Amino acid sequence: MPVDGSLRLILPEIIVAGTGLLALTAGLVSRRSRLPGFVSMLGLAAAAYFLLAEVAGETTQIWSGTVLVDGFSTLFKAVFLGIAALIALVSFDYIERNGLPAGEFHLLVLLATVGMMFMAGSLNLITIYIGLECLALASYALTGMLRGSAKSTEASLKYILIGAISSGVILFGMSLVFGVAGSVHLAEINAALAGGTPMLPVLLAGMVFLVAGLGVKMAAVPFHMWAPDVYHGAPAPVAAFLITASEAAAFAAALRIFLVGLPAIQEHWTTVFVALAVITMTFGNVTAIVQTNMRRMLAYSAVAQAGYVMVGLAVASERAVSAMIYYLIAYAFATIGAFAVVILLGRYHPAEDIADYRGLGRRAPLLALTLTVFMLSFIGIPPTAGFFGKFYLFQSAVAAGMPWLALIMVLNSMVSIPYYWGVVQTMYLREGETDAPLPAPAGVRWTAAIGLAATLILGLFPDQVVQLVSAVQVVPALLSGGL
Amino acid sequence: MPGFAIEGYVIVSVVLFALGIAGVLVRRSPLVMLMAIELMWGAAALLFLAFARQFALMDGHVFSFLILVVGAAEAAIGLGLIVLLFRAREAVDVDEVRELRG
Repeated sequence: MPVDGSLRLILPEIIVAGTGLLALTAGLVSRRSRLPGFVSMLGLAAAAYFLLAEVAGETTQIWSGTVLVDGFSTLFKAVFLGIAALIALVSFDYIERNGLPAGEFHLLVLLATVGMMFMAGSLNLITIYIGLECLALASYALTGMLRGSAKSTEASLKYILIGAISSGVILFGMSLVFGVAGSVHLAEINAALAGGTPMLPVLLAGMVFLVAGLGVKMAAVPFHMWAPDVYHGAPAPVAAFLITASEAAAFAAALRIFLVGLPAIQEHWTTVFVALAVITMTFGNVTAIVQTNMRRMLAYSAVAQAGYVMVGLAVASERAVSAMIYYLIAYAFATIGAFAVVILLGRYHPAEDIADYRGLGRRAPLLALTLTVFMLSFIGIPPTAGFFGKFYLFQSAVAAGMPWLALIMVLNSMVSIPYYWGVVQTMYLREGETDAPLPAPAGVRWTAAIGLAATLILGLFPDQVVQLVSAVQVVPALLSGGL
Repeated sequence: MPGFAIEGYVIVSVVLFALGIAGVLVRRSPLVMLMAIELMWGAAALLFLAFARQFALMDGHVFSFLILVVGAAEAAIGLGLIVLLFRAREAVDVDEVRELRG
C-alpha cells in the first residue's frame, strides 16, 4: 500500500484542516475583515472538488482499517462540506456585526467539519470517537464565542457538561462492546458476534450506553435537555451548523455502529430506537407549539425532526437509510435558509421573538416568501423537499411492517402545522410596528436563495436524488463477503 | 498471564463510572462536575486497558491513551469557560446559571 496512494484518499480532510489554519492566519493578518470567510469557502470548494473528482467511486480501507472510503462516507462528506460552505456564506455579516474573531470562527467550523468527515468515514471505533470529539470540542468553543453575551457562555457551559457526560457514556459503551467482541473494528465486531452473542447482558448494556450517548448528540428525547438552550444561546450561524451538520454526523456514526457492528442484536436496538423516535417527535412537536421565541421554536422543531429521522434508524432497511439521508439533506437546506432570515431579523430585533416577524411580508417580501417555503418544507407540504423526505420515511416504515409508526409520524406532522404556519401568519396577517424595508446583506440573500433552490429542486426531482442516494450502502461492499 | 483476573478490573471500573455519574448528579459546581466526568472517562479507559490485556490487543491501549489526550483538551476548554463565567457573574454554581429556559 503506497503511502501517497492512501494519503490521496483523505486529501479532502487534509485540505479542510489546512484551510482552517490559513483562515486563522488570514484573520490575524487583517482583523475584522472578510478575508477568512473567503479563504474558508475557497478551501471547502477545493476539498469538494477533490472529493468528487478523485475520491468518489472508490471503496477501500486504509491504514489497518482505521479509515474507510466508500459511497456512504463520500456522500456524507459532500453534505458536510456543503453545509460548512453555506455557514461561512451566511456568517460574513454576523461576524462583522458582533465583533467575532473571524479567523478563529472559521478555523473552528472547519475543524468541526474535519471531525464529522472522519465520523462518517470510518468503521473503527477509535477513529469514530476521535472524529466525534474533534467535532464536539470545536462546537463547545463555537457556542461560547459571543464573549460579551451571558447567554452564549451559559449555552456553552451547558453544552460542554452534557457533551462530556455523553462522551463518557459513549466511551463506556464502546469499552463494553470491545470487551465482548474483542475488537474495535465494526466489521470484526460483527464477525465475532455472528456466531452467537456471548455475555448478552454486557453487550446489551454497551448498546444502551451507545444509544444514550449518541442520543445526546442527535438531541433525542430524553437526552435533548441541552439542545434548546444551545440552539438559543449560541451565535445564530453556529446554531444552524449544529442543528444540521452535527446532527447528520451523529446519525451517520449511529448508522455505521448499529448496522455494520451490531446487527446481531438488531431486535434489541430496534425496540429502543422505535421508542426513542416516538417520544422524540411527539415531545418536540408538542413543546414547540408553546414557544414564543423563534430560535427556541426552531430548536424544538429540530428535536422533532430528529425523531422523524430516527424512524429510519428504527426500521434500518436499505430503503430507510436512503430515506434518512434524503431527509437529512432536505432538512439541512431548509434549516440554514430559515436561519439566514433569523440572522437578518436578529440584527434589528435581538430578542428574536416570533412576534418580531410581524409585517415581514411587507418589509422584506422575498425573504418572507422563502421563509414560507421553508416552513412548508418543515411541515411536509408538496412540492417541497420536506414532503418527499417524510413520504420516503413513511414508505420505509410501512414496507418494514410498522404502519403504526408511520401513522404516528403523520399525526405528529399534523400537530406541527400550527406552530410552523403560525410564523407564516405572523409575517403576512399581523401588522408590524413599522413598514420600513429590511435591507439584507448579500451573504444572507444568497444563503436563503440557495436554500430555496435546493428545497424546490429536491422536491421537484425527488426520484433522481433518491436514485443517487440509494446507490450508497451503509455496509460497504468489500465487507459483505467477510473480511 | 497468571494471576490476571478481569473481574476485579471490571468491578473497579463500574464503581468508578457510577461514582462519576453520582458526582455529576449531586454536585452543583461546574468545576467538580468536570472532575466527576473525568472519573467516568477514567472508568472507560481502565476497562479498555483491562480488556486489551485480556485479549492481548494493542487497540485498547491506544484507545485509553487517546481518551487521556481528549480529556486534557476537554478540560482546557471547560476551565476556560468556567473562568469566563466567573468573570461575568462571579458564580460557579450551575443552578445560578439559568438565563436560558423554557
